[in-house]
Amino acid sequence: MQYLQGRFNARRPPLFPTGALLSLSFQESIYTEQLPVYNSAASKERKMSQYNIDNSLSHNTNSFNVQNNYVVADEQSQLLTWLSPLEPKLRHRDIQERRVDNVGEWLLQTEEFRTWNDWSGEGEGDKAVLFWYGGPGVGKTFIR
Amino acid sequence: MDRLGDQARGRNTAVACFYLDFAARKEQSVARILGSLLRQVVGGMEKVPEEISRAFQEQKNVIGGREPRLPDIVKMLQTITSSRPTFVCIDALDECATTHRFKLLNSLKQILETSPRTRIFIIGRPHVRPEIEKRLAGRVISVPVGPNKDDIIEYLRLRLDEDETPDAMDESLEAEILEKIPENMSEMYVWPMVLGIPPHTIR
Repeated sequence: MQYLQGRFNARRPPLFPTGALLSLSFQESIYTEQLPVYNSAASKERKMSQYNIDNSLSHNTNSFNVQNNYVVADEQSQLLTWLSPLEPKLRHRDIQERRVDNVGEWLLQTEEFRTWNDWSGEGEGDKAVLFWYGGPGVGKTFIR
Repeated sequence: MDRLGDQARGRNTAVACFYLDFAARKEQSVARILGSLLRQVVGGMEKVPEEISRAFQEQKNVIGGREPRLPDIVKMLQTITSSRPTFVCIDALDECATTHRFKLLNSLKQILETSPRTRIFIIGRPHVRPEIEKRLAGRVISVPVGPNKDDIIEYLRLRLDEDETPDAMDESLEAEILEKIPENMSEMYVWPMVLGIPPHTIR
């Protein structure tokens, strides 16, 4: 099963929106379970049409943190969308899915993090800003 | 990030996060970035503060509505963060356009000045460090981060478990991977980072 999913994922176009990808792999497992003959033309076609539906549904989310065009129903959500149309939650969910538990735990135990985190807000000139820096791809974002 | 959220639930604390993205830098104006932080804080409140709902109603009178301007957003954030301890997280600050970064840091500074209970957590590449330390002078602790050996082993173990062709892997190869990669990784990335050498200079 994993092998089949891997093959399918390998065919996905670049810059495929992750939200759609997640829902797609979910659909994917349903399909492969119901249709054991994965390579039959019919099931392939079905898969591709499902793929297109997912793709068109989420085409307005073509990058993280970008505008959401859904029609908002009530006043409260209209107000929130007015404050900012960006949706960073999508990106956050993607990170939650992909990270490995406990990696970077030691950083959360460092003196610097604890001091910054426990600070009560009293006193002046405090270090209110914690800046973590590292080269590309070292995994800064993925620490829990 | 989630750690902050977990502990915030127990206290009366708000947490708001934003991930900057190079590919979306057009959409990610400073007003919208800060607006997004404000939106998250307001979204977690039982009632929208009077000041904000009034501003929302007023802009409706303008034909077609009007996006909130940066000074308005900063003011609203100042009000809301001074009534409630707030954690603000900003990831990949380096991916933001230089002119935006300048404005963003200055706005954060304004918020810190009026709301002493605000904590800001920024993540980025080393080259933005001087800029942060200049704009937020005296308020910043900078810490180099990178994976330690245990992190790398943990990560590799998981990925090896997910291997799609497990037959191609025997035990000795797996053991070698788990031993060699973390060793070389820590030399390649962690030490240069601790010493302040950007990783790309040693490739």
